[in-house]
This record gives sequence, structure tokens and C-alpha cells, in this order.
Amino acid sequence: MGMSNPSALAEAMNRLWAQFLPQIQERVVTLESAAAALDAGSLTPAQCEEAASAAHKLAGVLGTFGLDQGTELAREAEFLYSSGSTSPSMLNGRPSELAAQLRTILAKRGK
Amino acid sequence: MPHRILIIDDEDDIREVAAMSLETVAGWEVMVANSGAQGLTRAATYKPDAILLDVMMPGMDGPTTFRELRKNPVTAKIPVLFLTAKVQATDRRRFADLGIHAVLVKPFDPLTLATQIASALGWK
Repeated sequence: MGMSNPSALAEAMNRLWAQFLPQIQERVVTLESAAAALDAGSLTPAQCEEAASAAHKLAGVLGTFGLDQGTELAREAEFLYSSGSTSPSMLNGRPSELAAQLRTILAKRGK
Repeated sequence: MPHRILIIDDEDDIREVAAMSLETVAGWEVMVANSGAQGLTRAATYKPDAILLDVMMPGMDGPTTFRELRKNPVTAKIPVLFLTAKVQATDRRRFADLGIHAVLVKPFDPLTLATQIASALGWK
């Protein structure tokens, strides 16, 4: 099983990255908003669930585009938000750090 | 004749990357569905050689979709592989108990996805 044109896959991946970057960025925005709400003491269970879902989707897709560190960070965010908004692990600023690091990773990958 | 694969996943980025990967790398014929319900219809219509099925989907999730596929004589014997970001051992055991052929993990490598599927299904 081989690929006749090795560059075809890379070209296609770059095209798909550009196509789906807006929705990937939107998932990071969801994490940023949840982290801000957490810091303000106003994170709702619904927001927490939404953030866990966004993190789950990021974990699944970022590594596929070669961003393995992004997958690891997103998995950590998914774990944190799945543990609930009142979990002690949510109260040390880590969710904000994770969102910021994910934002940086997306910027480095570029368009 | 190329293998024919149905991808059922609600996340369009994953669906498109997987489809592109299988078409570009392996030359397989790929059909897609964006929900479990749509997947059931397409599986019965196209009778693919295998189904790549997402686990976490709104509405009808992967395990429910799998059980519905097994109830229909037309789709009952089509091999099904789960594609999931859930990597914990308890999840894997639960999926194995359902009777699926294999569990593939997200994120996947687009360069080797077809090889993983072929290996799991004993395709040469």
C-alpha cells in the first residue's frame, strides 16, 4: 500500500488545516472563555461541559495535523473540565495556562 | 477493485482528513456520514467493506450505532472499527465487549491510517 505522490498528502493536509482552522480556533476560544469564567468565579456547569467537549475535539484533531503537544494539552484540559468546575485542580490557574498554550501552538502552525 | 470504506463522524475536520487520507494514500473509495442515523442509511445503501465509526457523537453515539448496524441483516456482517479519542483501558474493554473489530485512536497519522485499518481487518 503506497502513495504515488508523497507530496500530495502534505499538500492536502495543509489545505484541510486552512479550511478547518477557524473551527479549531473557535474551540480554543471556548476554552479561553471557560477559563476566564473560572477565574471570575462564574463558570457554570454547562460552560464546563462545553469546555470539556471542545477540549476532547481538540485532543482528537491536533495530533492528526502534527501538533502532538496540542493533543496532550487538550487532553489535560478535557480531564480538568470533566472533573467539574469545583474540583481543586481547576483552581490553580492551569485551565488559563492550557488555553494560552494551545493558542500559541495554533499560531506556530500558521495557516 | 479498491476497498470501500464508510466513515461515520460528526466532526467534519476529522471526517475530511480521514477520507482524504484513505483516498490519497491507499486509493480506497470513501463514503462519509455525519451522524449515526445517516451512517445507518448509508451503510445499508452502499454496503461498504468496512465502517470507521466515531464513538462520541450527539444523538446516536458510536456504540448505539454499532448495535443498530448489527440488528440489520444487510449491515450486520460489515466489519466496524471505532475511531476514538477515549484511550483509557476501561473504555477499550467496554468497546471490545461490544464485538467490534478494532479500536483506532485519535489523533491518527494520516500517512498510516489505511495501513492500520488494513492490518486490523487482515487486508493485504
